[in-house]
Amino acid sequence: MSKFKIKAFFAQLLALILAAPMIAWAGGGGGPFDAGTFSAIKVGLVVFAIFSAWLIKDKMGLPLPKLIQAPLLWIICYIGFRVILQPPIPFSLLAMYMGVCTVCIFLYCSLTRPSWEEFSHPIAVMLREDHATAKMSRYATFLIIPGLIAAQTYNQMLPKFGEPIELRTVHPAPPASINVHKKLVTLQTAENPFRIGDDGNYLKVGDEQKYFGGNAWTGDVPKFLQEVQQGGVVFFGTAGCFFCHGDNLDGKGPFSFAFNPIPANFADPGTISQLQETFVFWRVAKGGPDLSREAFPWASAMPPWEKHLTTNEIWKVIIFEYWHTGFFPRTWG
Amino acid sequence: MLNLSGEKKKKVGAWLLLSMIGMLVLLPFAPAVVMAAEEAAVEEAKEPEKAKDVFYKEEGEFGIVSGPPAGELVYPDDYGSYGDFQSRTIIWISNQQHLYFGSFVLAVPMFVWVMELIGILQYEKNPKVGKKFDDLAHEMMKISLTAYSVTAILGGILIFSFLALYPGFFRYLSGIFKPVMHIYALLFILESGVLYVYYYGWDSMNDGNGDWKWSHLSLGTILNAVGIVLMVMANTWVSFMMSPAGVDAEGRFLGDIWKVMHNPLMVPVVVHRILGNAAFGGGVVAAYASFKFLSAKTLEEKAHYDWMSYIAMFMGILALIPLPFAGYWLMREIYAYRQQMGITLMGGLLAWVFIMQATMIATLFITVNYYLFQAMGRMPGSERYYKYFKVLLAILVVATIAWLTPHTLVMTPAELKAMGGAQHPVVGNYGVMSAKNTAINTMITTTVVSFIIYQRSNFKLTVPWAWKGNIFLAMLILGAEVNILFLGVYGYFIPANVRIGLSVPQVASTLSVLFIGVAVNTKMLKGAESIGEIRWGKMSVRGAYALFMLAVAFTWTMAVMGYLRSSVRLHWHVNEILRDNSPWAFTNPLGYAGNINSLNVLLFWTMLLFVFWLSALAGAGKKKVEAEEAAAAAVGKAVPAGSH
Ligand code: HEC
Repeated sequence: MSKFKIKAFFAQLLALILAAPMIAWAGGGGGPFDAGTFSAIKVGLVVFAIFSAWLIKDKMGLPLPKLIQAPLLWIICYIGFRVILQPPIPFSLLAMYMGVCTVCIFLYCSLTRPSWEEFSHPIAVMLREDHATAKMSRYATFLIIPGLIAAQTYNQMLPKFGEPIELRTVHPAPPASINVHKKLVTLQTAENPFRIGDDGNYLKVGDEQKYFGGNAWTGDVPKFLQEVQQGGVVFFGTAGCFFCHGDNLDGKGPFSFAFNPIPANFADPGTISQLQETFVFWRVAKGGPDLSREAFPWASAMPPWEKHLTTNEIWKVIIFEYWHTGFFPRTWG
Repeated sequence: MLNLSGEKKKKVGAWLLLSMIGMLVLLPFAPAVVMAAEEAAVEEAKEPEKAKDVFYKEEGEFGIVSGPPAGELVYPDDYGSYGDFQSRTIIWISNQQHLYFGSFVLAVPMFVWVMELIGILQYEKNPKVGKKFDDLAHEMMKISLTAYSVTAILGGILIFSFLALYPGFFRYLSGIFKPVMHIYALLFILESGVLYVYYYGWDSMNDGNGDWKWSHLSLGTILNAVGIVLMVMANTWVSFMMSPAGVDAEGRFLGDIWKVMHNPLMVPVVVHRILGNAAFGGGVVAAYASFKFLSAKTLEEKAHYDWMSYIAMFMGILALIPLPFAGYWLMREIYAYRQQMGITLMGGLLAWVFIMQATMIATLFITVNYYLFQAMGRMPGSERYYKYFKVLLAILVVATIAWLTPHTLVMTPAELKAMGGAQHPVVGNYGVMSAKNTAINTMITTTVVSFIIYQRSNFKLTVPWAWKGNIFLAMLILGAEVNILFLGVYGYFIPANVRIGLSVPQVASTLSVLFIGVAVNTKMLKGAESIGEIRWGKMSVRGAYALFMLAVAFTWTMAVMGYLRSSVRLHWHVNEILRDNSPWAFTNPLGYAGNINSLNVLLFWTMLLFVFWLSALAGAGKKKVEAEEAAAAAVGKAVPAGSH
C-alpha cells in the first residue's frame, strides 16, 4: 500500500467514526425529528452514507480491505438497528437481526474466491508469519477474544433485578363453544347478528368496506352505521373500553401502562384483523379470568364483559372496533 | 421347438418379468377382497347398530358400528415405561429416525428414476453423457439400499416401542386400521422384492436404451408407486390422529375404512410430505456427494462428485420451491378443520416454533444462493457477474429480516414501555402474513435470478436479439418484484380472506420469473459462444460445506415441523376421541423440544455417515481394480465434460 492510500484509508475510518454519532443524533428520538416514524430524512441519510461510501470506494479508487469492511459493516448495521430505528427494539429482536447480519457479512466476505482471499489472507499472515507485526497482532488477538468472552460471561452471571421475560401466548386457542348469558355460542360457526347490510341481509365480510371512512354520527345513516354508532357508545360510554384500549384503539389509553400485559392494540394488523369475530367475542365476553390453559400466566387485566354488558352490546362493540380501525375479521372461505 | 434369437429372448424375458411384477402388485389386495366378503356375510346375521360419523356429517351419513369404542385409557395399566424416562420422548426419537430414513429411501428412487430416464434418453445422442447419468443413478441407489435396511430396523424398533410403551393406544389404532394393516405389510414385502431386483439387476439389465433397460426403468416406476402408496398409508394413521373421521364420537369404527383413511387433513399432509421428502432426499444426496467431494483424492473423483452434488441439489430445490405453497394450503385446511388447532399453531402455543422454522427456511434459501455463487467460481467468465452477487445477497438479507421478524416480541416490561406498546410501529408491520408472503416470494425470485446468472456465466451470447432478450428479462424480473411488493403492501388494506387470494398473483409472479425467465434465458443461450468449459471439481470447499449446511437445515426443519404437527393435538392421542392420560400428556417446552430435535438431527447424521461409509466400503474393492485398469490405459484422461 502506498503512503497516500494509507492516509486516505485512515481519513475514511475517521470520517465514518465521526459520522456514526451524527447519524445517530439525526435519527434518534427527540430533536427536530419525529421519533415515532422512519422519517424520509433518516432514509435519505442512510442512502447518502451508502452513496458516499461507494464514491470513495469505487470512483476514487480507495477500496477498504475486506477485513476492515466486515467489522465496519457490522457496526453500521448495529447503529442502524440500535439507534436509527426508533422506538428502540427489544434486545431479543436486536440479537436476531444482528445474528442475520453477522452471518451474511461473513458470506459477503467469502462470496467469490478473490474476496475470500482478500479477507482471509491477513488472518493467515497474522496466524502464520514470524515477523514483529504479525506476532504483535497475534498476541493482541489471542488476548482480545478470550477477554471479550470473559466479559460476556461476567455480564451474564451478574444478578439482574429487572422483571423476567415471559414467553406469552397472546392468542391462545379458544374453546370450541362458550356459554354467554346462558346461551351456547359455538365459535366455529356463530355469526355477528349485527352485520346487516342495507337490504337487511347478512353482510359478508369485506362488503362493509363501503361504510368505512364516513362519519357514523351524522343524521340519517344506514343500518350498519347505526350499529357502529351504538358500538361506539359502548366503547366510549357504557363500558369505557377506551380507558385501556385508547381513544384511537391503539392500546394506549390512560391506564394502559399500569398493566402487564398492556391492553391490545386494535390498530395493529396483528390483533383483531387476524382473528375471527367469534374469537374476539370470546375474549370480550370472558376476558382475562377465562383464558384457556395455554395462555399462561393468565395475567391479562381484560375484564369479563359478560358481567356488565348484554350479548348484543358485545357484538356491537366488536362491529365498532372493526369499523374504526378499517380492518376485517378473518374468515376462511 | 421354439427357436428364439437373442433379441427376441430378451424381449420375451422382459415382458414376462413385467407381467409377473404386475401380478405381484395386485397380490396385496386379494386378502382385502376376501375380508370384505367375510364381513358382508357377518353383517347380514345380526341387526346392525348405526352411529353418526364425527366428520362426514351430511344427511344419511350414518355408518354401521363395527368396532369397540375408544374408551378411556388408564395410567399405568394402558401405558408402559422405562423407569423415570419420558416414554413419549422414546417414541418421539424412534419415530423421527424411522421417518428420516423412510423419507430418504422413498425420495431417492424418485431421483434415480429421473436420472435413469435422462440417461436412456441421452443414450442415443451421446452415449457418454447417458452413461454418466446412469452411473449416477446407480450410485444413488446403492446408498439407498443400505439405508433401506436401516429403515426396516428402525420401523421394528418403533413398533416395539409402541407395544411396550403405549399398548392401549396402539391397540385402538391397529383396531381401526385392521382392514389395511396387512396390505401395508405385504406392500412392504413387495417393495423389498422390487428394490432388490431393481438394484441387483442394474448391470445385467443394462443394454443402453434397449428393451431390458426400459423394463428396468419400469421396475423403477413400480418401486416408486409402491413406495408412495406405503407412504400414503402410513400418513393416513398420522392424519387420522390429527383429524379423525370414519368413527363416531365414541371412537367406534363405522365400517368404511376409506372414510377413516380419507380424513380431512390426509390429502394436504400427503402432498406436503411428498414434496418435503423429495427436497430432503435431494439434500441428503447432495450432502453425500459433498462428503465424497471433500474426501476425494483425485481431480477426476472430485469432478464426479462436484457434478453429482450439483444435480442432487438442483433436484432438491425443484421440490423445495412449491413446498411453502403446499404448506399454506395445509395450514388453511387445518383452520377450516378446527379454528382452535389453527390458532394453537399460528398464533398460540406453538407460534414460536414457526420462528424456528422460518429461520431454517431462510437458511435454506441463503445457502442455495451462496452455493450457486461458489459454484460459479469454477466457470470461466463468471467474473463478469461478481459485482451482482453482493446486491443479490443484500436483497436476501432484507427479505430475511422481514421474514424472521416475529409478531409477538420477547421483551422485558421496561423494553415494552420504551417501545410504547406491544407492537413496533415499523418492524411490527413485518410480523403479519402480507409481509411474510412478500419476503418468501422475493427470496425465491432472487434464487431464480442467481440461477439465471449461473446458466449464462460461462457463455457469451451470440443470438442477434440478445439485447432485446436482456431487456425483456430485466423487465420481467423487475416487473414481478414490483408486483410482489405492491401486492404485499396492498394486503394490509383488505380483509383476510381476500388477502389469502393475493398470494396467488404473488406466486404467479414468482413462477413466471421461474418458468418464463429460465426458458427465455435458455433460448438465448442457444449457440452461445463458450468462454470455457465448466471446471468440475474446482469448486471452493465453501460450496461443499454450504451443501452440507443445506442438508442439515432440511433435517432440522423436518424435526421442528414434526414436533409441531404432533404437539398440535395437545393432550389427545386421537384428537377429541382418545385422550392421552399418561403423565407425559403435557406439551413439552420449546427448549426441551429444541434439544430433542437437535439430538435427532445428530443421531440421523451419525447413522447416515455410517451408511455413506458402508457404501464406500462396498465400492472400494471395485475401484481398486478400475484404478489398475485406468493406470494401464492412456495417460491424461480428460475431465468429464459438464452438462446440466
Ligand atoms: C382494564 C383495562 C381494560 C378494559 C377496560 C378493556 N380491556 Fe380489552 N384488554 C385488556 C387487556 C390487558 C387485554 C389483553 C392483552 C393481551 O393479552 O396481550 C385486552 C384484550 C382485549 C381483546 C383481545 C385482543 C386480542 O388481540 O386478543 C379484545 C378484543 C378486547 N380487549 C376488547 C375490549 C373491549 C371491547 C372492551 C370494552 C368493552 C375492553 N377490551 C375493555 C384490558 C382492558
